[in-house]
Amino acid sequence: MWNWFEKFCSPQALKAQGVLGMNARNYKIIAKNNNRRQYPLVDDKVQTKTLAAKAGINTPHLIGVIEYQYQVKDFIHIVKDYPQFVIKPAHGSGGKGVLVIKHWDDDCFVTASEKVLTFKDVYQHISNTLSGLFSLGGQYDVAVIEEMVDFSDRFKDFSYQGVPDVRIIVYKGYPAMSMMRLATAESAGRANLHQGAVGVGLDIFTGKTLNAVMHNMPIFEHPDTHADLRKLEVPLWREHLIIGAKSYEMTGLGYLGADIVLDKNKGPMMLELNARPGLAIQIANGRGLMDVIKKIDKTYPKGLTPEERVDFLLNQTQANPK
Amino acid sequence: MKNLFTVRKILSLCLCFSILFAIYSAYYKIKYWGFDLSPNRTANVWNIDAHISFKPTGEPIQISLGIPVSPTEFKILNEDVIAKGYQSSKDTEQGRINLTSPAQTLNQDIYYRLTIYDNEGGRGKLVDNEVQPPKKPVYDEQQQQAVNTILADAENFEGGWPQKIIGIFNQEPLNPTLSAFLPVKISERQRVQLMIDLLAVKGIPARMARGVRLEEGKQAAEADLMLEAYDGYKWRLYDIHTGKAGLPKNFIVFQRGGKSLLDVQGGVDSKVRFSVLKSVTSSFKLASHRASNNYSKMFDYSIYGLPLLEQNTLKWLMVFPLGILVVALMRNVVGIPTMGTFTPMLIAMSLVKTGFWPGFVCFSVIIAIGLLLRAILSKLNLLLVPRISAVVIFVILIMQFMTIIGYRLEWQIASSAVFFPIIITAWIIERASITWEEDGASNATKEIIYSMITAIATYFVISNESVRHITFAFDEINLVILFIVMLLGTYTGYRLTELKRFTPLAKKS
Repeated sequence: MWNWFEKFCSPQALKAQGVLGMNARNYKIIAKNNNRRQYPLVDDKVQTKTLAAKAGINTPHLIGVIEYQYQVKDFIHIVKDYPQFVIKPAHGSGGKGVLVIKHWDDDCFVTASEKVLTFKDVYQHISNTLSGLFSLGGQYDVAVIEEMVDFSDRFKDFSYQGVPDVRIIVYKGYPAMSMMRLATAESAGRANLHQGAVGVGLDIFTGKTLNAVMHNMPIFEHPDTHADLRKLEVPLWREHLIIGAKSYEMTGLGYLGADIVLDKNKGPMMLELNARPGLAIQIANGRGLMDVIKKIDKTYPKGLTPEERVDFLLNQTQANPK
Repeated sequence: MKNLFTVRKILSLCLCFSILFAIYSAYYKIKYWGFDLSPNRTANVWNIDAHISFKPTGEPIQISLGIPVSPTEFKILNEDVIAKGYQSSKDTEQGRINLTSPAQTLNQDIYYRLTIYDNEGGRGKLVDNEVQPPKKPVYDEQQQQAVNTILADAENFEGGWPQKIIGIFNQEPLNPTLSAFLPVKISERQRVQLMIDLLAVKGIPARMARGVRLEEGKQAAEADLMLEAYDGYKWRLYDIHTGKAGLPKNFIVFQRGGKSLLDVQGGVDSKVRFSVLKSVTSSFKLASHRASNNYSKMFDYSIYGLPLLEQNTLKWLMVFPLGILVVALMRNVVGIPTMGTFTPMLIAMSLVKTGFWPGFVCFSVIIAIGLLLRAILSKLNLLLVPRISAVVIFVILIMQFMTIIGYRLEWQIASSAVFFPIIITAWIIERASITWEEDGASNATKEIIYSMITAIATYFVISNESVRHITFAFDEINLVILFIVMLLGTYTGYRLTELKRFTPLAKKS
């Protein structure tokens, strides 16, 4: 009985650590900084891409959009010049309904997880996407077909299938906290922490590992590839941060999560934005988000350009060495 | 931050006002409308029929009947005179009802009908300061001697003088002196008059009280008598057979003192006979009835002035805010994720209609069968809307099947299937099935179990009879709930489940 109680901690202890709870996030952060009118900008991947292009943020190349059921059977024509492609629901969330085709010919499609699909399977998937199976609230959706990211080999050993991506929480334009999400066998190639993916908290100043967790428990090596997670370091970290910082001006959202992947040739690319990023990032970082938010509110200057903000942030390390 | 503070302040203020309002109106309803805090309290309602009959003599008729006037021990719900062709007027001061009519020829039957109910709180004594010392009766020498002997013998009985005298009058076998003193054929009334006379000898004012002993099924009985004696500062009633002091629980006084119970001019052979009919009503209904008589304006615009059917619907609705509060608490304070915001409440409502275990078992079976059929359906790769439509039809068919089987096998449990909301059930199946396919069976069962836990918690709150009574009878409480829910909307503390989720962070330092 008492053991069971020990699984809980006191609210004071959490507060002392500056942990941001769900209610506080919704009430104090999201409701204040995120205007509901701007949500469609990030909920719709087509709009996000267009905006990102304007803001000078790299995103995977858009091959085409399928809007109506009658167009579904012609998707072969859309992708015919691309040996690899990704199909996503425009209003999807949490990686639901993302189909990654590694290579294909007329009647055989191979996914990233080496599953072989027929034309009919892919057809069905797109059709389901349009009818809203994967979208928020189940409303009608469109399918986005984009070029596959040519993933950097840097993280090959750190992820079991799937795409390792960097999630940066951006508060009022300042990158506040970041983590890398690594797929595992248990999470079936997905990068959702609650499904058993590994979360690696990254130092916001350097892009190096702070802490790694799986199922809320600290770990040091990847359960499948056994790579030492402490050695993880994200290259081009400043460019990652700049994408995050720019997405503030791009969307006007004061609190958002930017998902960024690293392309071998094109560098960091923004995959999607999230107006309601989750709180698991705190566990991955081993620290609370509230402290950082308070610090940004109080001491960080306003009215800077994205690049200036990132540089201001990076200078903080020299100002207060740990 | 300041902005947030004022929102909270305003809501807190509203909450305080709504609490004050709820308390005041509860007080008002209890005090003036007679509402009860607990459900199922019953009160006895007595219907007393005084049947007056006489033969007219051909002269104009005047009838005067003693009636209870605002008795403290009972509350009068209703009174009614059935007397065709008579003009009636009530004399509240004297406690009489007067009926007049021109000459009549046929035998007359007049009914005075009274509906009263117990008022447990109102059993006091009559205080009366202006009492004249009684006129001593005049006896001849022989009688005086007998009286002295009787009084001397009465000394041996317990209690005060009224009780002593009642005691000796009811002695078995009767005291020989008293036996000789009493006429051979003596009516109850004459006996009481003799008691009053003897008390007068002792200088104690006494009088007769006529009324009705409330006994179920009393038919055409004469008025019951009691002896009332003045003990120095108040009138006390005594049972003329046992000498027990005080007003019996089931006695209502129609008339006190020397005047007769019934006076009829212009008629002969007049008599009044009482019939009593008892019925038991819930005190709530009674209160509503009484309130609608006495405070009609206020009452007509409240729920309770509505027809019963609407009242029942509203009684059902009035408990929802509390269910909503429970769901809001479970989600925002406890932090239990549920399928759909108010799905648990809808399930809880169905459980109230079916009863807990039958509903629970039945619902589980519907979900299980539904998931099985849905698994087969998913192989067919249908489009979303047709697929969910198919699930809805599945659910309807399962319900139909279970109801028929339940009826045939006399299996009560299965026949409660019809009470579950079809569309909601279908969506639960659909969502659980998608979660199953995407996140595995354990996540799907978790989602269902969390929703069921919330539903069960809600069920136990809204199925409670007292809770339902209070939310209905004192419906202002819903205003309080409204502001609590709104205040909950500004709650920024941790959820209970987060205390577990973020434990690694707290343990770190």
